[in-house]
Amino acid sequence: MKQCLVVLAGAGLIILGGVSGCANNQTAMTPSPAATSPTTASSADSGTLEIRANGEDFARQGFTSKDGWQISFENVYVTLSDVTAYQTDPPYDPRKDQALKATQQVSLEKVQTVDLAAGDEKADPVLIGEVKAPAGRYNALSWRMVKPLEGPAQGYPLLLKGKAVKEGRTIDFSLKIDQEMAFSCGDFVGDDRKGTLTPGGQADLEATFHFDHLFGDGEAAATDELNQKALGFEPLAAIAEADRLDVDMTTLKQKLTPEDFNKLKTILPSLGHVGEGHCKEILLQT
Amino acid sequence: MKWLIPMTCLMLMGLVGRVHAHGVEIEYQSTQALDIQATYDTGEPMKNAQVSVYAPGKDTPWLTGTTNDQGRFTFAPDTSQPGNWEVKVRLAGHGGILAIPVAANQGGANQGGTAIAQKHTGYTPLQQGVMTLSVIWGLVGTALFFARRK
Repeated sequence: MKQCLVVLAGAGLIILGGVSGCANNQTAMTPSPAATSPTTASSADSGTLEIRANGEDFARQGFTSKDGWQISFENVYVTLSDVTAYQTDPPYDPRKDQALKATQQVSLEKVQTVDLAAGDEKADPVLIGEVKAPAGRYNALSWRMVKPLEGPAQGYPLLLKGKAVKEGRTIDFSLKIDQEMAFSCGDFVGDDRKGTLTPGGQADLEATFHFDHLFGDGEAAATDELNQKALGFEPLAAIAEADRLDVDMTTLKQKLTPEDFNKLKTILPSLGHVGEGHCKEILLQT
Repeated sequence: MKWLIPMTCLMLMGLVGRVHAHGVEIEYQSTQALDIQATYDTGEPMKNAQVSVYAPGKDTPWLTGTTNDQGRFTFAPDTSQPGNWEVKVRLAGHGGILAIPVAANQGGANQGGTAIAQKHTGYTPLQQGVMTLSVIWGLVGTALFFARRK
């Protein structure tokens, strides 16, 4: 009896060892996320966070559209509200994460209209505002584009004024976009990193606008995805009267083909970026 | 004496291994690397894209390189720097950034940059305990059953 028990118990231990060994071979390559640690703020460990808007060289210097129109801007007005910078850990990924969960956040209080075409080719991105903020790494940014109640772009979250030239024809255009939009973005993607704020220091973040998504880029291949999706300027030139185009979304809906108008509606929320990084965008009800 | 011949061969092989013709040494270290693949929205790989790898909390790249023809880039992070490693991939105005959580190497001795692969059994400690007791109880019961028949 005792021998039998000893033998069976030994066999049991061997079996358990075998089961355990097999299970351990099921190695997962997924590392565990780092623990989050909410940031606590005090005046001693805060700095100044600047938030800027950038239409890049496309807005400041002009460019050639995918269909050969030389476009230059007199003004590119965007009106921004609820501009908020976040510290997120793990970093917010607008393509995957449903919600932006912050360990720390700071906001600009005022609604601000800025002209992205201001300045020469060496001009810094336009300052939207600055705010005292707890030190840390600000790796997410969100903002809304709203209708300003006053100023040069009154009523239009985005107003593009400029000239388009092609083969001796010049069209003065004013595109008044009354569609409000909201963007939530992750980390800035560019030559340098942005958003690391040290105590007593200064850092900046950037809301970037890619107008080549709207008109296409003549320097890129026609087969480039950007040019495939872009509206170009030709559909707009086709509805200009006496080489002038002064239109809002209602007029564009009436005069553009349904296909081109839908393309425009699809492009608008893709204008907002953080450097080259994409954002999660929504069209707001207006 | 039968072991003498193979031992002699092994010793000779060891001596031959120390001969250096042109002073080239190539060594290897076994690591578990992270394999990144960068694609456009269309699924097309980002070939020869610029890659910058940032260790947690750092603003200067820990490693730079380019993707291959399949848009792939492989590296083994230093697990003595646990946290979110970030990989930035850029090409001709297109770019993105990916955060990869890397756990600390258990024991912290590995400075060579091995990505931690968390081992798990697939069972919780409670499940393992229940399994152990079940097996032992089954064995005891079986033994008692046969003992009674005698």
